[in-house]
Amino acid sequence: MEDNRENGMPDLLDLQEFDEEALKRESEEVLQMRLMTSENAVFTRTEGGFLSLKFGEKTYDRVGVYLTFPLTNPEEFISIREADEKAKEIGMIRSLKDMPKDVQDMIQEQVRLRYFMPVIRKVMEVKDEYGYAYWYVQTDFGSCRFTTHMGGDAVVSLGEARYQITDIDGNRYELPDLYALTVMERKKLDLFI
Amino acid sequence: MKLLYTLKESQRQALSLHDGETIWYCVPVDLDFDNGMHNARTSYTDQTWIVVTEERLVTLRGDEKTSEHLLADCEKIKCEHQVGCGIVTVFPKEGLPECVARFSMRHIIRVAYAVRGAQTLVQAIQEEQNPKMVSRVESREYEKYCEKCGRALPGTSKCMYCDGKSEILKKFMALCGDFVGRLIAISLLLVLLAAINMFNPMVQRYFIDNALANGQGTVKDLWLFIGLTFVLTVGGMICWIYRYWLCVKLGASLSMSLRAKLYYKIQVLSLSFINNRKPGELMNRVSRDTKQIRIFMEEVFGDMFSTVVTMAVSLVMMLIISWKMTLLSLAFVVAVLVIIRMFWHHIHTIFHKQWLRADDLSSNLQDILSGMRIVKSFGKEERESARFTEKTEAFAAIQKKNETFWAVFFPIMTFLLGVGTYIAIYFGGVQVLEGSMTVGELVQFVTYSGYLFGPLSWMTHLPRAVMQMLTSLNRIYDVLDEEPMLADKAESKAFPIQGAFTFEDVSFGYQTYEPVLEHISFDVKPGEMIGLVGASGTGKSTLINLIMRLYDVDQGRITLDGYDLRDVQMESLHSQIGVVLQETFLFSGTILANIRFAKQDATLEEVIMAARAANAHDFICKTPDGYNTYVGEHGYNLSGGERQRIAIARAILNNPRILILDEATSALDTESEFLIQQALNRLVKGRTTFAIAHRLSTLRDADRLVVIDKHGVAEIGTHNELLEKQGIYYGLVNAQLRMSSGEK
Repeated sequence: MEDNRENGMPDLLDLQEFDEEALKRESEEVLQMRLMTSENAVFTRTEGGFLSLKFGEKTYDRVGVYLTFPLTNPEEFISIREADEKAKEIGMIRSLKDMPKDVQDMIQEQVRLRYFMPVIRKVMEVKDEYGYAYWYVQTDFGSCRFTTHMGGDAVVSLGEARYQITDIDGNRYELPDLYALTVMERKKLDLFI
Repeated sequence: MKLLYTLKESQRQALSLHDGETIWYCVPVDLDFDNGMHNARTSYTDQTWIVVTEERLVTLRGDEKTSEHLLADCEKIKCEHQVGCGIVTVFPKEGLPECVARFSMRHIIRVAYAVRGAQTLVQAIQEEQNPKMVSRVESREYEKYCEKCGRALPGTSKCMYCDGKSEILKKFMALCGDFVGRLIAISLLLVLLAAINMFNPMVQRYFIDNALANGQGTVKDLWLFIGLTFVLTVGGMICWIYRYWLCVKLGASLSMSLRAKLYYKIQVLSLSFINNRKPGELMNRVSRDTKQIRIFMEEVFGDMFSTVVTMAVSLVMMLIISWKMTLLSLAFVVAVLVIIRMFWHHIHTIFHKQWLRADDLSSNLQDILSGMRIVKSFGKEERESARFTEKTEAFAAIQKKNETFWAVFFPIMTFLLGVGTYIAIYFGGVQVLEGSMTVGELVQFVTYSGYLFGPLSWMTHLPRAVMQMLTSLNRIYDVLDEEPMLADKAESKAFPIQGAFTFEDVSFGYQTYEPVLEHISFDVKPGEMIGLVGASGTGKSTLINLIMRLYDVDQGRITLDGYDLRDVQMESLHSQIGVVLQETFLFSGTILANIRFAKQDATLEEVIMAARAANAHDFICKTPDGYNTYVGEHGYNLSGGERQRIAIARAILNNPRILILDEATSALDTESEFLIQQALNRLVKGRTTFAIAHRLSTLRDADRLVVIDKHGVAEIGTHNELLEKQGIYYGLVNAQLRMSSGEK
């Protein structure tokens, strides 16, 4: 208890709303998993390309859709958050499968807007030249050229034969299964894997 | 970074600009986005642009407008960072936010700048200014790719392949100009070495033909030959050693001079230049890139010329002796080169792999060692050591494989190169037997062919070495050519500061597109103590950085005693500011040297007085060596409070007119805090003081308090005024009172 008090001392993240009671309430609220169901949450598409939400009593003009396990469980534990900088959590969708089809579609649309990680289907060419590797690949977004460093963290393993490649701009590409590639393609990746 | 791309004529047409409307920003985006139709398509797109004029924000796809917004109808325009991509969102004055463009990380910086530019236009329109008078947002960040060839730029402004190479070489020559004497000596030695090398086979031939082969030689001839060969060999050796020594010396002085220049330049350059670089990158430029140049001068530069000269002369001599035999052996060399080339990629790959594994291994090891306490406390030693063993085994396997390959490959290569000589000997031998060639000529030929083929495998490394050196040079000159942004001007003034500050509509952000402070305006009287209050990350420390002029404001201005801060001579300003920061940095050295840092010629009496005023004198006296006690990495261990008091003494010594206290008393025990508080109270008298503190009790003596929230000044006034106002400050004071009473 002693420690807690010391750490919690002047942590005044938002002055405007600073209110001890509110803070206490907030930290209590975080403990709850407010699950969203088709009964308590109503999602609507907005004209601007986002989603609005009516959850219980409250309505939100625009909400953010955050995947909590984007790489391993993209359809479970989806966090729905407010759209401002603080992005406070409104609630969670336990499993997208349990939602009605139209809600699933709406959520998936937002996920496609927010997340971008092309999947590499075919490796056409990898050329290394003085510290950089120049890639030419086919992705599910179309053909693409990108550049990575030759260092150790350009290609990281996500387990088994699954790899993630990060280019010098910070774009990430997924290679779902190394062994789905042909032998010739795998040979081109020899330098990294 | 380019923010204004040129559109095709048909696309300009599609914009239908009216008279007087001009394009301010035009940047490409690369993800297809079905505007507002909830269908972010999964495909890349080409020829899609965000265009900003002083009236509109338009997105173009091909020759077609996909969205259009009047800036006058916009509340704000934002570039929002998503996961692995970004979107541009328009917040209209009426209605819901609208997403207008989507792009991958390749374009995010560029788009962010352009959107920031659009936002300044929106603001100007809202404030009823003429948008044409707004200054354009510019980006000083470098492009990541060469526009001409598409290669990645290694943190430089110019591409080495396209236009940097000759320029860099010119600069390098100019730099070498400082060492012209040594260069001439090296070239003379190189010529001498090549001559000795060439001469040796001639002596052999003369001796064989005139003394051995015809049986007319005497013992005297033998002695003469041995003597001459001995002199040539020893002479060559001495030349070689001397040349190597000269090259090493040249490389060392070159890299030293570059290092010194770099170090000086980095000190001069503004913090914003340094902050724009990744941490460690500048350090790499100082240490690694200069080392690269030293290695090149030592190991490549000298050998490069002497080898090329030797090879050329050997070839000529061989052709003179027998052009047929020369061509025969050359054909063979070509074959060997092709083989090397074929294996080159493989060799490169296997060693790169080994290097990757080694990297992985060492980072893994570091991970475990630094997390040792966690590993032990969770009892996971065995799992971790199993994981590590697995990695070492993988590394060992690769290493073994590589070494085996190398051990087989290298001798075979050497052998193959030697085969050329066998062929030469065969055909030469036939000619000797026929009598069309002398034995001496054959020996001479074989020796020269050794000179020609020997360095071939070494030559294949040459392009890489040269390229590496050029890259390093490029990176170094990139820093050296940078103009310091915060340079003093000729008309900069130096004057004794009174300490009156005015902030006039100041805005600033470390990244131009991410403002930290916006529209800050307030006055400070000389000698006033200002307390800065606000949550972490609101920009208090940034405000202080601006006062110290570590950065220049983006918009508005700060004046000091009526002069724009940008017109005050930097040294004059900094010599009159005293700073005590939360993280006290003491240099390795004695306490005396640390206190004297700001004023090197302070007398011992002044130092003691400063230490007394800082409540530091007593504890300093108790240390074993008093003021001569060595502090720093391997020195005497001072507590946080003690270090802080030394820092205060350092700030007092200079008798500064302006004092800056950034969290000077946080994280201290009560007694130290009291002592330091006392010292600070003495210190602030009569000086303009800016103090940041989380604990509001620290600021009870402040004349006025400035509450910073949401990038701007939220409240300003005395303690009592702010309490009466019952605003943010009131809430803070109450909260802290409640917490501290709870503590008791």
